[in-house]
Amino acid sequence: MEEVKALGIDVGSTTVKLTAVDAQGKLIWHHLEGADPRVEDQVDHFFNLMREHGFDGKELPMVATGYGRNLVEQAEKKVTEITCHATGVYNQLGHGGTLVDIGGQDSKVIIIGENSQVVDFAMNDKCAAGTGRFLENTAGRLRVPLDRMGVEALSAAEEVAISSTCTVFAESEIISMIAHGVEVNPILKGLHRSLILRIVAMIRSVGLVPPLMLSGGVVKNPAIREMITQELGEQVTMPEYPQLMGAYGAALIALKNSNRA
Amino acid sequence: MELPAIPNRIETITAFKQNSGMIAAVLPIHYPRSLFRAFDVLPVEVWGPPGTDVSHGGAHLQPYVCSIVHNALSFLKKGGLDLADFIAVPHTCDSLQGFGSILLDFVKPKQSIFPLYLPRGNRPEDLRFLTEEFRQLYRHLSGLTGKKPSEEILLRCIRREEKADDLLRQLYEKRQKVSLSNYSFYHLVRTREYLPAETFISIAEKVLSRKGFDNPKGTAIILSGIVPEPMEVLTTITELGAAVVADDLACCGRRLYASGKSEQPFRRMAERILNAPPDPTRGNSLEERKQYLLRLADQTDARGVVFYDVKFCEPELFDLPRLRAKLKAAGLPSVQIEIDLNDPLSNQIVTRIGAFLEILG
Repeated sequence: MEEVKALGIDVGSTTVKLTAVDAQGKLIWHHLEGADPRVEDQVDHFFNLMREHGFDGKELPMVATGYGRNLVEQAEKKVTEITCHATGVYNQLGHGGTLVDIGGQDSKVIIIGENSQVVDFAMNDKCAAGTGRFLENTAGRLRVPLDRMGVEALSAAEEVAISSTCTVFAESEIISMIAHGVEVNPILKGLHRSLILRIVAMIRSVGLVPPLMLSGGVVKNPAIREMITQELGEQVTMPEYPQLMGAYGAALIALKNSNRA
Repeated sequence: MELPAIPNRIETITAFKQNSGMIAAVLPIHYPRSLFRAFDVLPVEVWGPPGTDVSHGGAHLQPYVCSIVHNALSFLKKGGLDLADFIAVPHTCDSLQGFGSILLDFVKPKQSIFPLYLPRGNRPEDLRFLTEEFRQLYRHLSGLTGKKPSEEILLRCIRREEKADDLLRQLYEKRQKVSLSNYSFYHLVRTREYLPAETFISIAEKVLSRKGFDNPKGTAIILSGIVPEPMEVLTTITELGAAVVADDLACCGRRLYASGKSEQPFRRMAERILNAPPDPTRGNSLEERKQYLLRLADQTDARGVVFYDVKFCEPELFDLPRLRAKLKAAGLPSVQIEIDLNDPLSNQIVTRIGAFLEILG
């Protein structure tokens, strides 16, 4: 492994991601696991992991991002996930445009300008509609594994309209549909459509600037990618590690700051 | 630097009533303070208040009515306005007009209700209308209190409010030299919501006599919207590395009333409100608002605007996308944040403000 020069940690609501970059800003190591509400303990555990992999994280510059960023005492700087995602994706894909990041409990649309700067952004409000949690909750109800949801949804010829955008109400709606004998896959397709329409509304609120880029764990779902293309008529591009872009951007900022110092 | 001791709302109300004064609970935004004071009635504004148990109002109002109105109804129904002798409800928006009607037709509280109709423009007929509206309010107050303050008393009360508002304007102009934090500055400004003008004058003069020169540190921003609640947001803005250098808030900067010109008291009161900074609830155009915000930014070196609005505020939110687009085109970026008066400051709001400040660099 190349020598690690900087670290980025993204303490999200669903997962925590740690990335390490070399002197050129190349992503050379990462670790991802489910979020523990005791953030400090989880960060200590991450530092132990780094030692096991042959480098001492405490000696390295680190930037923290995500909702738990302020709880990472070891980080020399805290930067919002908006800026970090923009930085990470820009460096991975090499251009600006409109980035849609769909995370576990929040979604954001970020307009990235030349030189990776954030031009504008929108985030979902308090409710979980338009986020990964919306699909996760309903996947449980439909007894479909999360990683199969997109494939199953795309296989459906029919689509059932889900009128509730609220995660909890959508769940009740689905239970009622199943009780009335509606097939699972058309429901899944309708669920994806409901989520995508929320995302599309957010994109329109800031104005789409092509190309359209996706990040976040949820975009591994193929139905998300296909439906967003259907709705907007724009092809989407994705970085190699869509789920790590916040942490990667944080590491790049840490690297840049250390080079300045 | 700390503020001098400032009495809170309850202390102020209690002291005023002990001196045989009466209290008018006044809903937002514009009304003639001096007219009430001429009748020895202290207007105390009701911006919600925040953190009220909304179950009392929630049972009667639609969920999409803003939290200022929800809270005001709840506050009234659980006795929060019992100390008030009157309730004045300016026709600021449909929700507040509806609130006035609900009070008159259904709730029927023990206090007399004064609806107050405001024109949506600044034409000669608007001035005539508002002047007459204030005459009507005079007759109403006179009938209830048995008092008939003379023109001389009315003008004296107007001039006292004008002095208080002039000091308020000086505080805004010298805010960078009176060494007050974002939080302390707005804590002081918002005492205009309930302090008698003479008390405010005394406090403002003390603060203005200070010789502090700690310029606000950080990225200079303008705060726009209705009301900065929870007030903690102002401390958070400081912690995020920004300074509020100007505002376009309904409870603050949009009420920097200039002195009137007329020697006819009702007309002078109307002039003051109609000539206040642009406000969507008084029908000012998008262009007027844009020019005003750009001028504020120019005067204060502000680099962006945080639109901090109460959810479901129809007059505020309707034009906001177009206003933001116009400001952006003119080189002034902005961010929009919506709040509910009963919610604590959320991590999402802090992230939005933080991300915006990162954009400003």
